[in-house]
Amino acid sequence: MGKGVPAANKIKTDLHEILDIRHLTDSTFVLRIEKKDLEFEAGQHVCVGPPNGIHTREYSIYSAEQDEYIEILVKEVENGLVSPSLKKLQKGGYVVVEEPVGYFTINKDLPQAQKYVFIASGTGVSPFHSFVLSGKAQNYTLLHGVKYASEAYESEAYDENKYVLCTSQEDKGTFNGRVTDYLKANHFGVDAHYYLCGNCNMIHDVYDILEEQGVSTDNIHAEVYF
Amino acid sequence: MKKRIGFKTLGCRLNQFETDALASKFVGLGYEVVENSKDIDVFIVNTCTVTNQSDQKSRYVVNNALNHGHTGMLVITGCMANHHKEQLEKRYPNAYVVDNQQKSTIPQLVEAHYNKEILPSNQNVGGVFDYAPAAETFHTRSMIKIQDGCDNYCTFCIIPKVRGRAVSRPVEDILENIRQVVGFGYKEVVITGVNISRYNDNGIGFSALLKQIVDINLDFRVRISSIEPDSFDEAFFELLKHPKITPHLHLCLQSASESVLLQMRRMYTYKLYKRMVERLRAVDPRFNITTDIIVGFPGETEADFQKSLEAVEELNFGHVHTFKYSKREDTRAARMSNTVPESEKSLRSEQLRQAANDSKINYRQQFVGDQLKVLVDTVKDGYSKGYGEYYVPVKINQVLERNKLYTVKITGIETWGEEPNLIGVVQN
Repeated sequence: MGKGVPAANKIKTDLHEILDIRHLTDSTFVLRIEKKDLEFEAGQHVCVGPPNGIHTREYSIYSAEQDEYIEILVKEVENGLVSPSLKKLQKGGYVVVEEPVGYFTINKDLPQAQKYVFIASGTGVSPFHSFVLSGKAQNYTLLHGVKYASEAYESEAYDENKYVLCTSQEDKGTFNGRVTDYLKANHFGVDAHYYLCGNCNMIHDVYDILEEQGVSTDNIHAEVYF
Repeated sequence: MKKRIGFKTLGCRLNQFETDALASKFVGLGYEVVENSKDIDVFIVNTCTVTNQSDQKSRYVVNNALNHGHTGMLVITGCMANHHKEQLEKRYPNAYVVDNQQKSTIPQLVEAHYNKEILPSNQNVGGVFDYAPAAETFHTRSMIKIQDGCDNYCTFCIIPKVRGRAVSRPVEDILENIRQVVGFGYKEVVITGVNISRYNDNGIGFSALLKQIVDINLDFRVRISSIEPDSFDEAFFELLKHPKITPHLHLCLQSASESVLLQMRRMYTYKLYKRMVERLRAVDPRFNITTDIIVGFPGETEADFQKSLEAVEELNFGHVHTFKYSKREDTRAARMSNTVPESEKSLRSEQLRQAANDSKINYRQQFVGDQLKVLVDTVKDGYSKGYGEYYVPVKINQVLERNKLYTVKITGIETWGEEPNLIGVVQN
């Protein structure tokens, strides 16, 4: 057997201290936890759960690769098994974290000037926050679909000329309507790479729209949130 | 007197590879190895846990051996040992329950058991690739393990939890393994792993590995086993034209409904899958594409199911393995609502099986009148059986030599049970 062969590939799990909690809306918050030795690529996710439970849930990493901590953006799910417990935790407490994983990442072989269109619904904006803060994409447009403008979740992180807030329930965003409506009215071209993150219905509809616009499925990358 | 070791293997080719490697190791240590549980000293059950049915089958094999008087050493390994370790240890207190990461150390465990050494299996340092090339196996083809684990996290699948994270075996180990098994006399190697299309050893991906494999200057053919249709590159399609690579892929589809594929968190669309099939059939119009399809996934509507049914008719699959969706705890799909009633799953499963059988006959019919290079793996009762390069079974009414390639002219199709086998005669 050659050198460097992994003896085992068990999923590594560890307890991480909570460094900070930022409440962005009544139901959504950012959990900042110690990084320890976890390296990740922007776009990957971690499984996180309360320290005394057996359940974890997948959360895309919200923070940048170079940050000395890890952040996740959590929306409390009513009657959920994990998010209500996470919401009750306090700074100085602990969470269980599995090592980062996932392929929803920027292809390193693409040119620096590659045009990207990031399309998110709700907390699906999380991996794009990490992409932008990690410096993974310069030439991007982020379409963020929410019900209300208050769900723009720290949108000051993005260049205001590159961020399109689509609000479906009030007229306070950049665009009043769903991201799909915006996409139908605004074409970004067949050479762009489209990254989709959010609920199944949004992703399904965006696929159809992009296909009608002649975009190859090779240029579409999706991460489904449940 | 030689100690006898019985094996029973359930599930995937990776398990078969690992059983073959263990069996070969035991032969080298002086044990007699058989593929049953009669009159044996040690029984090793390599389990599977991919569905509830797999769990049941695995338990049945163990219970059956115990009910038929097996009193020797019992080793339960494989994915069920990872997934239900405590439950198995409680139910079978005299068994050694060995997880996948320790599986390669079973020979040491057995030796230690008979040497009366106290050596719990979890103190052995094993490894998911720590298997010696197998000279004596239960198969005519030699399985070559290149990868283990999976990071895809499909919502229905428990395998990432039991096989762990994706890891790749170093290129040179794989090439050496192939050189050795071809040296042992194998004519065909089967590339196996949990998710082989994600192979990556220090930047060398699956296509680059495959290129190095076909470049080995020895006479053998390569079969790629089950593969996920989510990360093929141009080089891969080019390599499929190489004469050493057999024109067959088990390309897992799971569903032809775009919305179900999203709910399954598969990393491709049906449109993309279809395009891959077209490209494969452009390499060879008779390229054999076999697949897995799940029916009754939570939320699967009648219209979604019809799409899978239409795909079977449209894509001319050589074989479809139909699974009724089986809830696995600790997966995302286990938390999904809109479950499909069991009776409906059974109906859909039966419909799909019928369509798959029609497709299989249709696919195989095109070989009648042609010649295939058949690797004989079974010789009994006056006939021989084997698989041609397209991985279609061929029966020849003549006693031939096992593990030898024959040029066979296909004369017709004969159905045994539900399996339509090609019938042929050897050409001189």
